[in-house]
Amino acid sequence: MEVLKKDVEINRQHLEAVQGVGSNKNDVEIKGAFKQFGANVVLNGIDLEVKQGELLTLLGPSGCGKSTTLNLIAGFLDPDRGEVHIKGNNVTKVPPYKRDLGMVFQTYSLFPHMTVYENLSFGLKLRKVGKAEQKKKISKALELVKMSGLENRYPRELSGGQRQRVAISRALVVEPELLLLDEPLSNLDAKLRHELRAEIKRLQKEIGVTTIFVTHDQEEALSMSDRVVVMNAGKIEQISTPTEIYNHPKTEFVFQFIGKSNCFEGNVSAVDKRKVAVKIGSDITHVDTNNVMGNEGDLKTGDEVKLYIRPEKLQIVSLDEKSSSPLDFHRAKISQMNYLGTSWEINVLLQGKSIQVLTSAFDSSWQNGSEVLIGWSPSEVMLVKK
Amino acid sequence: MEPIRSYASQEIEQQTSPIEPQKKPKSKKRKVWVPGLLLLTPILLFIFGFFVIPMLYILYLSFISTDNLGGAEAVYSIKNYTQLFSDSYYLSSLWLTVKISLYSVLVALFLGYPVALTMAKSSARIRGYITLLIVSPLLVSIVVRNFGWYLLLLPNGTINQTLMALGIIDAPLKLLFSEIGVVIGLSNAYLPFMILSIVASLYNIDPSLDKAGAILGASPFRRFFSITLPLSIPGIVSGCILVFSLSMSAYVTPALMGGANVPVMPVVIYDQINNLLHWTFGSALSYILLATTVISVTVFTRAFEKGKFKEVFR
Repeated sequence: MEVLKKDVEINRQHLEAVQGVGSNKNDVEIKGAFKQFGANVVLNGIDLEVKQGELLTLLGPSGCGKSTTLNLIAGFLDPDRGEVHIKGNNVTKVPPYKRDLGMVFQTYSLFPHMTVYENLSFGLKLRKVGKAEQKKKISKALELVKMSGLENRYPRELSGGQRQRVAISRALVVEPELLLLDEPLSNLDAKLRHELRAEIKRLQKEIGVTTIFVTHDQEEALSMSDRVVVMNAGKIEQISTPTEIYNHPKTEFVFQFIGKSNCFEGNVSAVDKRKVAVKIGSDITHVDTNNVMGNEGDLKTGDEVKLYIRPEKLQIVSLDEKSSSPLDFHRAKISQMNYLGTSWEINVLLQGKSIQVLTSAFDSSWQNGSEVLIGWSPSEVMLVKK
Repeated sequence: MEPIRSYASQEIEQQTSPIEPQKKPKSKKRKVWVPGLLLLTPILLFIFGFFVIPMLYILYLSFISTDNLGGAEAVYSIKNYTQLFSDSYYLSSLWLTVKISLYSVLVALFLGYPVALTMAKSSARIRGYITLLIVSPLLVSIVVRNFGWYLLLLPNGTINQTLMALGIIDAPLKLLFSEIGVVIGLSNAYLPFMILSIVASLYNIDPSLDKAGAILGASPFRRFFSITLPLSIPGIVSGCILVFSLSMSAYVTPALMGGANVPVMPVVIYDQINNLLHWTFGSALSYILLATTVISVTVFTRAFEKGKFKEVFR
């Protein structure tokens, strides 16, 4: 392991010297990609830049175009319009086998008639690497994924997690320009998924290979990525860091897709420079103008709007508790309480609407039907025009 | 306490799983499904009465000695079997049968594989049409089909006339009543079996393996020889076995397309039994043909199952 770490370190220093890791150089650029299958538009003008050395996740529901985007980069699909550039070269028309990439598939895709060793040497042979050099690289690559000693096993003789580890090392052993991961964890059970998630993240940082990861699992996307690309219906909704995506979603779709959300409907009662006042039933609440999704300049008094807020951003207190915090408090009635171990999930009725609250502060006097106050900060509410 | 213990053992299993390969569940003794046995009774009786008993009777006949005129003697011996090795006519007939069957297998394989590959890559609808086309010759009686070939292959038949008219040949080729004619007939007749076996095998290959090969840098040509072809070996082997066994035992096609010029074993056996009335010798020849087929097929299969690509058979 020591030798290996040194090696990786040397590699990185070498890379930094040659290319300057950490610079804002783009390894992948997709420009105006458009793709249609029959009458079905799967990519509707995608522009995407992947920075050198980052782990970028394409996240979205099935059919959003994330896999199509990955296939454009891999070369398995041609865009109808638009271009794909890898490391500055236009590769739009270059077939996959000339792109020098590494890819890990959902179904592992190890060659069943080859041993682990033969699977790893497949790409090296094609690159005309000498026998002795092959051996060195393969044992290093297997060590990286903690699979040393299994060289002579056939894929059939490995567990799902082991197969995926071998698949990862097969992708890395050729030292690819990019690492593409196509939902590599979806076929594994929850425990292995967590384990491999951490491992992929560690490996990616250790080797520094630019990585594009496709998933429909938001937790995976948030925990692993440097940046997340949220896609929907063939378009990119938002590209940001995980915390930005979660805390400052730019669109209604992103808010609803990532995490849990509560939604109120109301009317704008007043707009000023800093805050928008919204009337929900008989209550008035406030939203920071920063949190208006879309163009806040368009908001007028009387506009119908939707407010979104996450369950864990809501505060719940007893009626007699006077709070001095600058929150808008509203009367609500508890309808259901679920204990989750680390927190409580409390469903309340607010203005006749069911709202979910996640809290660790819990008053033992509360029960179904108790009246409570629900409060939130204007900076935590997102507003979108209906 | 019980649930706790089982939970703990699960935990241990999970922890060891990343290092150890998954252990196969202990093979339980399979119980005989009694209704299944009942359902199989009619076919078992049928096979026993109309196949096993006649085959045993032929085996019995093959050990009865005959005099020079073919009359049965009340003596059991292996004379009928040793007679084959004393007369080069029968040995060369056996060799001819094997040779023609091998040629038919090769022709069917080389004609069939590209078709199978095309089918495996086509959409379900196109695949349906191609299957129909492939199977359609089987709808025509083999005798009728052979007479069709007959007309094409005659010395003044369509093929020879065309080739001569084009100036490619001066004199008609001897296509009929020759080994070539028999190979053409047999490979044509059994091509569907070859194609369908290979398609089944190709269709089972995970398409992402081809993608994995491509991304690792393999050209389409390379991918075919390193991935697709090895993984389709089970289909190739079963197709070859089918065509080989069918060709070894074919009678109609060699009789019509080869006639007396191509005396393959089934033709010779028919001759012995029906024309010369050497029932006992004919029976021995039948068993020698059967043994040759079984041994060849077994050796062929074993060679692949133990060879370089043994893993594709699992």
